[in-house]
Amino acid sequence: MLQNAIEVKNLHKAFGDLKAVDGVSFEVAQGEIFSLLGPNGAGKTTTISMLSCLLRPDEGDALVMGHSIKDDQMGVKSVLGVVPQEIALYNDLSARENLTFWGKMYGLRGPALRSRVDEVLEIIGLTERAKDRVGKYSGGMKRRVNIGVALLHKPQVIYMDEPTVGIDPQSRRNILDSVVALKNQGMTVLYTTHYMEEAQELSDHIAIMDIGKVIAYGTNAELVKIVGQMDRITLTINAESGRVLEAWKKVQGVKQVTAQDGTLTVLADDSNQVLPRLFETSALNGVRITTVAIQEPNLEAVFLHLTGKALRD
Amino acid sequence: MKILDIAFKDITRSFRSVFAVLFMFVIPLLITGMFYVMFGGMKGSDTGFSLPQTNIVIANLDKGGAGFDTVMSQFPADANIQSLGDMVVYVLQQDNLADLMKVTLLDSAEAARSAVDTQEAGVAVIIPADFSANYSNLNGQAVLEVYQDPTLTLGPAIVRSVLNQFMDGISGTKIAVNEAVTQTGSSDPAFIGQVVESFLTATARTRDPAALLKVSSPAATETEEIPFLLRVIGPVMGGMMVFYAFYTGTASAETLLQEDEMGTLPRLFTTPTTQATILGGKLLAVLLTVTIQVAVLLTLGALIFGIHWGSLSSVLLFAAGTVVLASAFGVFVNSLMKSTKQGGIVFGGVLTFSGMIGLMPVFMFGSPSTTFDTISLIVPQGWAARGLFQSMQGATTGNLLLTLLVMLIWATVFFGIGVWRFQKRYA
Repeated sequence: MLQNAIEVKNLHKAFGDLKAVDGVSFEVAQGEIFSLLGPNGAGKTTTISMLSCLLRPDEGDALVMGHSIKDDQMGVKSVLGVVPQEIALYNDLSARENLTFWGKMYGLRGPALRSRVDEVLEIIGLTERAKDRVGKYSGGMKRRVNIGVALLHKPQVIYMDEPTVGIDPQSRRNILDSVVALKNQGMTVLYTTHYMEEAQELSDHIAIMDIGKVIAYGTNAELVKIVGQMDRITLTINAESGRVLEAWKKVQGVKQVTAQDGTLTVLADDSNQVLPRLFETSALNGVRITTVAIQEPNLEAVFLHLTGKALRD
Repeated sequence: MKILDIAFKDITRSFRSVFAVLFMFVIPLLITGMFYVMFGGMKGSDTGFSLPQTNIVIANLDKGGAGFDTVMSQFPADANIQSLGDMVVYVLQQDNLADLMKVTLLDSAEAARSAVDTQEAGVAVIIPADFSANYSNLNGQAVLEVYQDPTLTLGPAIVRSVLNQFMDGISGTKIAVNEAVTQTGSSDPAFIGQVVESFLTATARTRDPAALLKVSSPAATETEEIPFLLRVIGPVMGGMMVFYAFYTGTASAETLLQEDEMGTLPRLFTTPTTQATILGGKLLAVLLTVTIQVAVLLTLGALIFGIHWGSLSSVLLFAAGTVVLASAFGVFVNSLMKSTKQGGIVFGGVLTFSGMIGLMPVFMFGSPSTTFDTISLIVPQGWAARGLFQSMQGATTGNLLLTLLVMLIWATVFFGIGVWRFQKRYA
């Protein structure tokens, strides 16, 4: 009995001079939700593409349910369901026709296929609209069919590449719920996202990626420990950030100050003690603080701590 | 099995596209239909071209003149020709002009002009009283008056052409007589009669085009029995079919690029389906789509326009060659494209331009031109058109097989390069 559904060993992939994936390794246990968290361009999709056998790694290998992505691609594909980042469906076919076609591509035939298509339509809540062409669906409905395709052959492992990008909150909630439901059915889910909240909510384990590398790996709690119990204070001021940046770094209790897009982020041991000092220092420099937000430690803080930049688009 | 699933899916998608159906079937039929309407009526009522008959009124006021015995002898006795004016009337009343003009004789110039003014006639020919006399007089000038409806063009032009020819003839006779009289100094009517007779005998052959032109035709074939309309419409319909079959081949093969951009092709590659099966299914769809298009257009061409494409075996050979070549060409062209954004250039430029070159012989309407035929063969559409003509003209199987062989060589090269490039791209 395999313990790990996925074992990634030192994967490398370069496009010309750009190292998209640079020595990535991690393991995903069977039946867990594992998130790859990182900003756009971190190398998440390239990693998923290699694990889906769409791209051949320059170096390294990975095993998916014991099948090598280099030497046993058909074996990998047969245990795998892939939900691509972009909706990959035929708009001029109905949901049922789409599911039937993709079911055939996964080797389903006859009554088994028809029955499974009905089941999946039920799961994604589109039985009533099964005959409508996908082109007429809303973005959220298309996302659901997009996920449904990956479920047809009851895969042991599912890759979901940023499935909530560009959809409304309700559809997003549905998708997050369905990911948990898949886990509950015993499937292993490899989930990529650049939304910290999703990774935090869903994942058993998280690998944080940046510039092609895994920079942190562990459970949510383990990762948060990296930044200790520091609070994150986000502030905006009525002047250039440079006028207070250096002064704030010298304030007692402040561990880190970064500025990005007109917003200053301060990591501090205790925001209650530090905040009055920040106001005082600002006043001395002729700068007024216009907004303040305080956050408990989270993955955003971890990413900020590790890379010195915010985890956002 | 998966290969058929992929092909069936692609064909379904193609035939659900209104745009594709328009280009595959409607436009070729519509263009052919336009030619059909332009060149004649519907099947079964075809009688070829006909010009409207022109009503001509002639006021022959000619009172005759001396010395016409010899000339009169050139006309049948029952024509009862007494003057040069009678000859004009006789010429215009000939049977071979009866379809083009209806001649009515009137007594006066006024009545003739009035008939034109009231549009009862299109042309009035007024032969003056001194017409023969002026002709007989060596220093005189015989003049005809033509009075025509200014709104008409073709009918009066034909009448003028006939009269000009007649006047050229009698002018030649007069010049010959003048020359003979000047050279001999004799104005003896018997001598003049001899000169006229000699001139008419010498020029008789030139008045008959058949004597100057050797007109020959190929040995009797089925095409001789095909009306003019269908001889024009057949190649037009066939040409449209070839032209749009190449469009369909290219458009169908473009689904490879479309699916790549839509993300469905990469998704297919994540399923347990081999690359060869996926590409094979896509290419099979191209082949089947073009096959359906050609089969439907051949059938509809025969049913709607009554086109005779040739014997069954030659039609099958031509159709197979066209389908394979158009499909392979589509795969090749798409393999050169980086994305569907280049489709406009390919469809608007490459396909249209090569199609126009290849189909030049079609628009010669059966007037063979070796130069155009040769130029057309530098593009694949030219070979498909050649196969079409050979089939329609009842060429031997040997000739058709030779054309088919060349088409298959083209297709093999196109297909080979196209598949190689696609495999390399998706490796």
